Amino acid sequence: MTGLLPGLVYIFLFPGFVFLVMYALFFEFIDRKITARMQNRVGPPFVQPFADFIKMLGKEVIDVEGVDRKVFDAAPVVALAAVMTAFLYIPVFMSSPFGFQGDLILVLYLLTIPTVILFLLGWMSRNIFSSIGGIRVITQMFIYEVPFFLALLTPALMAGTWSISEIVQWQQQNLWLMFLQPIGFIVALIGLQAKLERPPFDIPEAETEIVAGPWTELTGRRLALMHLVKDVSLVTGSALVAALFLGGPVLPWVITPFWLGMIAGFGLFVVKTLAVLLVLSSIKVATGRIRIDQLNTIGWKYIASAALFQVAIVLIINYRWVSP
Amino acid sequence: MSVLVEMFRNLLTMPSTILYPGERVPIPDKFRGRIAVSDEICIGCSKCSLVCSVQCISMVDSPREIRFKDKILLRKKKPAVKLFKCIRCGLCERHCPTGAIYLKNELSDSGTDKEVIAA
Amino acid sequence: MPEVTVPIGPHHPALKEPVNFKVIADGEKIVRLELDLSYSHRGIEKAAEQRDFIRVLPLLERVCGICSHSHSTVFVKGIEEIMQVEIPPRAQYIRTIIAELERMHSHLLWLGVAAHEIGFNTLFMWTWRDRELVQDTLEEMSGNRVHYGMNEVGGVRCDLAPHQVSAALERLPFLEERIHQYTDMVNDQQTMLLRFKGVGKLSREEVLNYGAVGPTARASGVDYDVRRDDPYLAYADVPWNVVTDTNGDVYGRTCVRIGELHESVNIVRYCLENIPEGPVRINAPKIAPDGEIMSRYEAPRGELVHFIRTNGTNKVERIDIRTPTLANWTSVAMCLVNKNLADIPVIVAAIDPCLSCTSRITLINTPGGKPGIITFDELRKRRQISDKGRGLP
Ligand code: SF4
Ligand code: SF4
Repeated sequence: MTGLLPGLVYIFLFPGFVFLVMYALFFEFIDRKITARMQNRVGPPFVQPFADFIKMLGKEVIDVEGVDRKVFDAAPVVALAAVMTAFLYIPVFMSSPFGFQGDLILVLYLLTIPTVILFLLGWMSRNIFSSIGGIRVITQMFIYEVPFFLALLTPALMAGTWSISEIVQWQQQNLWLMFLQPIGFIVALIGLQAKLERPPFDIPEAETEIVAGPWTELTGRRLALMHLVKDVSLVTGSALVAALFLGGPVLPWVITPFWLGMIAGFGLFVVKTLAVLLVLSSIKVATGRIRIDQLNTIGWKYIASAALFQVAIVLIINYRWVSP
Repeated sequence: MSVLVEMFRNLLTMPSTILYPGERVPIPDKFRGRIAVSDEICIGCSKCSLVCSVQCISMVDSPREIRFKDKILLRKKKPAVKLFKCIRCGLCERHCPTGAIYLKNELSDSGTDKEVIAA
Repeated sequence: MPEVTVPIGPHHPALKEPVNFKVIADGEKIVRLELDLSYSHRGIEKAAEQRDFIRVLPLLERVCGICSHSHSTVFVKGIEEIMQVEIPPRAQYIRTIIAELERMHSHLLWLGVAAHEIGFNTLFMWTWRDRELVQDTLEEMSGNRVHYGMNEVGGVRCDLAPHQVSAALERLPFLEERIHQYTDMVNDQQTMLLRFKGVGKLSREEVLNYGAVGPTARASGVDYDVRRDDPYLAYADVPWNVVTDTNGDVYGRTCVRIGELHESVNIVRYCLENIPEGPVRINAPKIAPDGEIMSRYEAPRGELVHFIRTNGTNKVERIDIRTPTLANWTSVAMCLVNKNLADIPVIVAAIDPCLSCTSRITLINTPGGKPGIITFDELRKRRQISDKGRGLP
């Protein structure tokens, strides 16, 4: 894809901004519906997330006394920009046109920004619940980030490349990395769940303990944007896991007309991200919230060691069989 | 494990929610609903207004001849119940000698009008 | 991190009723806490003194929305004892059935709330779904889901029809199966075990010291249940066991409550199958002689006590309601110190607090910051002044 126009279309229309927002809200709908049905409830109607988003955009924005308004307004936008940029590097219907050697690192880095922003929002809110929530956000980040990164870097080690698109191509020729690195896959899913602050890792926004944590003072469009950030992170994270472990949007064989391959790839993308979402939602439904000190123990003792173990295995395999 | 089993079983079955205006729960016979007075048999003894726990029954003038135990009585008053105040405790129904005041087996709210009177 | 004051309540998502904890926390650790209970004083004792024995029962039922039958039963039980009337056995059985169904719906509710406090909303949805079955049974039997209005001095207000008995019996096996499932869930759901085990631990000595009652006490191995130790209603005839546990933590309290659910199902089944024939009420006198009585009852949350003094009229001279929540508060305040901030909702929920039932006094901070008691007239005057200040009529 060369030239300015296709690039702009990719960024703004499909699969960039417009598609991404729609798909993120659709994802939220699916997530809520699955959760509801598993809990034997009816769940929201299809338009609910869209309606919520639009409604919240129109609500009054309440400023907290003594808080810098401009920073408070800008923070959600920055977070949204970061996750949306991250999505551009993830293959949707074919290799990302912006992909380069090392874009995996960039995506991981961009995915961390919303967490930091959330911490800042909590800290700036001058509210005891928000501050505690902000501290919990950052504590939790230090716990899950290491195993999450390790787990997502193992595919790169195995495929011998730092580009997501190339890892996808490697899987096209070999096997899905989910089967080659089951431990890494599980750790990545757990890490993703922790990154998205969904149960059992919704410690920073534990409703019954600290009201809504960093979200407490967010109102109106700030809240709408932060919700959108969360949904987009959900899409981006699922797509990333799908690309790295589930073979991404490519079939193992080549489909002759180019456009048919693109459609098939997009279909695969939808199916695989929804599959990841189903797993994430099941975890959300099946667990309660753990405590931050328990997360500390579990995270460093088990999850991090599992990730390290996976890295070690990959290194050994690489040493013995792949590189001569 | 039992949580997972239940989760996926629920995913395959229909939700147990009752979508209210469309579907309705069956109302049992004894249900204590909206209050009603049958004018033809009330003998105006005021017992209901005495036992009412929130004192929402007042006796209003309503002279009328009533057959009670094969006798013709002339009653002077009959109860008027402020629906908004009634808590549907059923005490009036329990203590009425003729069964003239009773709670209907019908799910209906008292509304927002404070002055509605059942008689 | 320096110490911070985290105000929990009176309005807080974790609390369904108003209470205020001023938690002084060091990071995530609780250093100490101040408790302020009475936010919803309703003057219910005083109001009860104004009403005769017929009209007081609907009021007493509304002391608590969950254990409404407990409050009216304990009261009529006391009054009947003062009047020295013996109510018919069928009435005893019906009261027992309602009481145990009430315990079932209360414990199912609690299980859901406890799960909700640790963010496990799924179990919350499921227990509340199954609780509807119990509520349907109660509605069929009494005419209302919450305020049953079954009791009156001298018996119960309405009889159970045979089809109601069979409908209730039909529901029990399904409920039993569900309760078994909850037992499994509580025992193999890892996050619940993580959050419940070892949290809010109370030793047997501490429980006796702080005077905790009900499932809270029984979870610490205190083998005390009014239903067995001072039998009332039909409990003496029914075969059942007191459920105790030795864990002493929130997990133990969960086990006790689930065990009691099993017991309740069995008691209800036994009572429904063996309900004696006969009248359901006798004509009790309208007036109670001089007397004082301390009436005890095992409500779902623990021992409930009504102190009743009568003076030869058709009203009580004094009634004092000691709810189980009040007895359990001290133990909560004690086991919160040095715990994690995240444990507050769990430990508080573990006693199944019912705060509005507990409020007996209103303390209001005067501008000087001194607590004191004010009269109703003064309260009204202040209200008028503040309304005028805000331009209200
Ligand atoms: S049902 Fe209503 S009208 Fe009848 S006694 Fe109760 S409150 Fe009064
Ligand atoms: S409704 Fe019944 S209790 Fe009331 S006045 Fe009429 S007859 Fe008497």
